[in-house]
Amino acid sequence: MKADLPLLLRALRTPQQLASLPPAGWDLLLRQAANANLSATLHDWLAQHGVLAQALPQAREQLSWAAVMARRHRQATYWEIRLIGKALGGLGVPLLLLKGGAYAAADLPPAAGRLFSDIDILVPEESLPQVEAALMRHGWVGTHHDQYDQRYYREWMHELPPMMHVLRQTAIDVHHTILPRTAAQRPDARLLRAAARPLAGEGAPPGTAILAPLDMVLHSATHLFADGEFDKGLRDLWDLHCLLTHFGAREPGFWDALPARARQHQLQRFMFYGLRYSAMLLGTEVPRATLAAMAPDGPPPALLAVMDALFTRALLPHHPSCRGTGAALADFLLYVRGNWLRMPPLRLARHLFHKAFLTPKNSQGAAA
Amino acid sequence: MPVQWQLVPGQSLLHRSWDGQVVLYNEVSGATHLLDQETLDLLHALRDGELAPEDWTDPELQLAFAELRKLYLVEPC
Amino acid sequence: MLTVASLAPGALQARLAGEGLRLRTGRFSVRLQAAMPSVAAGIGQLYGDYPLLQDSDFADFHLQLVRPRSPRRWLRPQVRLHCDGYEMFQPMPLQHAFPMFEWGLNWCVSSRAHRYLIVHAAVLERHGRAVILPAPPGSGKSTLTAALAGKGGWRLLSDELTLLELDTGLLVPNPRPISLKNASIDIIRAYVPDAVLSTPVRDTTKGTVAHMRAPGDAVQRAADCAQPAWIVFPHYSAGAATTLEPLARAATFMELAGNSFNYSVLGAAGFQALGRLIEQAAGFRFRYSALDEALDTFARLDES
Repeated sequence: MKADLPLLLRALRTPQQLASLPPAGWDLLLRQAANANLSATLHDWLAQHGVLAQALPQAREQLSWAAVMARRHRQATYWEIRLIGKALGGLGVPLLLLKGGAYAAADLPPAAGRLFSDIDILVPEESLPQVEAALMRHGWVGTHHDQYDQRYYREWMHELPPMMHVLRQTAIDVHHTILPRTAAQRPDARLLRAAARPLAGEGAPPGTAILAPLDMVLHSATHLFADGEFDKGLRDLWDLHCLLTHFGAREPGFWDALPARARQHQLQRFMFYGLRYSAMLLGTEVPRATLAAMAPDGPPPALLAVMDALFTRALLPHHPSCRGTGAALADFLLYVRGNWLRMPPLRLARHLFHKAFLTPKNSQGAAA
Repeated sequence: MPVQWQLVPGQSLLHRSWDGQVVLYNEVSGATHLLDQETLDLLHALRDGELAPEDWTDPELQLAFAELRKLYLVEPC
Repeated sequence: MLTVASLAPGALQARLAGEGLRLRTGRFSVRLQAAMPSVAAGIGQLYGDYPLLQDSDFADFHLQLVRPRSPRRWLRPQVRLHCDGYEMFQPMPLQHAFPMFEWGLNWCVSSRAHRYLIVHAAVLERHGRAVILPAPPGSGKSTLTAALAGKGGWRLLSDELTLLELDTGLLVPNPRPISLKNASIDIIRAYVPDAVLSTPVRDTTKGTVAHMRAPGDAVQRAADCAQPAWIVFPHYSAGAATTLEPLARAATFMELAGNSFNYSVLGAAGFQALGRLIEQAAGFRFRYSALDEALDTFARLDES
């Protein structure tokens, strides 16, 4: 398997081997990285492993451009989190950051070289109306005004329709749980909030918290494997790999507690896939005992073989150099699976139809 | 009780001055502002703790700080 | 060093239609794939002096111009541009392919090369000192640039993308064909008789567009950086007298920041670099209508 992995994955697994890469190889590596949104990450990763100084100068140059952009994104993200904190400060609702915002505020490894987009926060379901109102008072406006889309988000998904700030053109996603209401799995949002860890320090306004390590890892795996679209899948898998490696080394009892916590939230299947593909593609060192404990949570062997075929294609960079036969079909099947997981069959048909034919062209939800 | 102000944490007042005009880089928001020299002097005084109790009661000063607050350069203590 | 001109026309076309032509423009290397005859003609005419690179070399930017296989392929032929796999612009009529390459390459550089503060301005050098000409479309900047480079004895560093190196404060050349629009095409044809101009392309979003080959030793001296000395905001106005008025430094700073593609990305480093530039280079507003008088004013800039 290792010899067949695309150059980008080999670079992430064994960066020291890049010292002998010819110019054409660097050219390909940078294209794969750009396609996967991992350019600035690659810069930091190579620097960390002492490889950047020996890289082809033009490649090092380009990676440094990406690093400048990532630095700016980080600054903007801290700023955005601060302003969100100000907007929600008076409500008595803890500001629980998810995903990229959490990584930045807590300076976790997935924040390195990251290009941030929306800020995601988790609030109690009963506080949604106040949170929405407070954000609107501070300049955020709702998007997706189409009645169907509004219903999609509020009734069926797990979040308010994304809100955008009028002046800064930045987006915030307000979640009340980490999976849609319509999904079969029901992670317990109260448990997530109860286990959340407060943050102190410069990146975090007062009252900010992030998920506990186990929950953060579960959320990362769920976010990736419950979704239907994998064009940024490798980026998300890299995040998961970083979190597993970081917490695995620093959190006492992390690996032992992971299987039970996954089952407690009904997310064990997603975690199974997370561990499996992170290890397979990125070489994450998962203890045997944890893999054994999670083995019953996988699908039956025949289905596992199918999932392996699908995910090992879909999680590669979507650059033409990495797209062999079956890649497009894999994308399609996983897209359907993603929507299937979120919504029961009848609703799925209506949703796809609506997205394809009735959603206005210039709205965010329009199909490409 | 007059409001007391402070620089927003993280501001180092990175700036250049030419002929009574100042360009200032806002490290927190990433914006760049065009100010006059008097405003910069006020910000320096604030940073260096040179404002006396009677200064806080000056309505013009409060007005200036209220404007600077909108730029996220200062905030109430 | 081999140049693009060393390829026979047939070989040039074959590379463009196949694995791609790799060439260097200043500090950047480009791989271009385009099967259209108009692009091969444009490259052949305007890029002859540029260094030719090997297929095995690293290329900073990969550009591909393709003809989509859509139903309108025959009656309304189009061209699409891919920059490193991304499509940045809407498809355009096929005859706009060469200008699309120029705009696309400008896009690639200005959106990514964050070692430099990239100002939307022309930049030229004479006797070791450089003038920066920021200007919105329609200000006559391109006509002035073509005249200064073609007849005024100034070396062209760039007609659209001024690259101010953050670390050194030097202006880095990025010489490419000068883009001319509408009336300025005929003006330059008359004013610079030995200018090499591409066949004008009509009905683009900017009107009629033609490109002038970078004159003199612009390409040969692409490695020679320049010290900034003047920042001149040109305004062409028919019948206007020639005037050069000094601008306040803070105002010059803010206008340059507003004319930069990546000022807001660079953060404090961009602020510092621009501040240093304003210390070194005085700013002016320049109004003119007669090219001869304009060239004369620029010739005497070191007297200011």
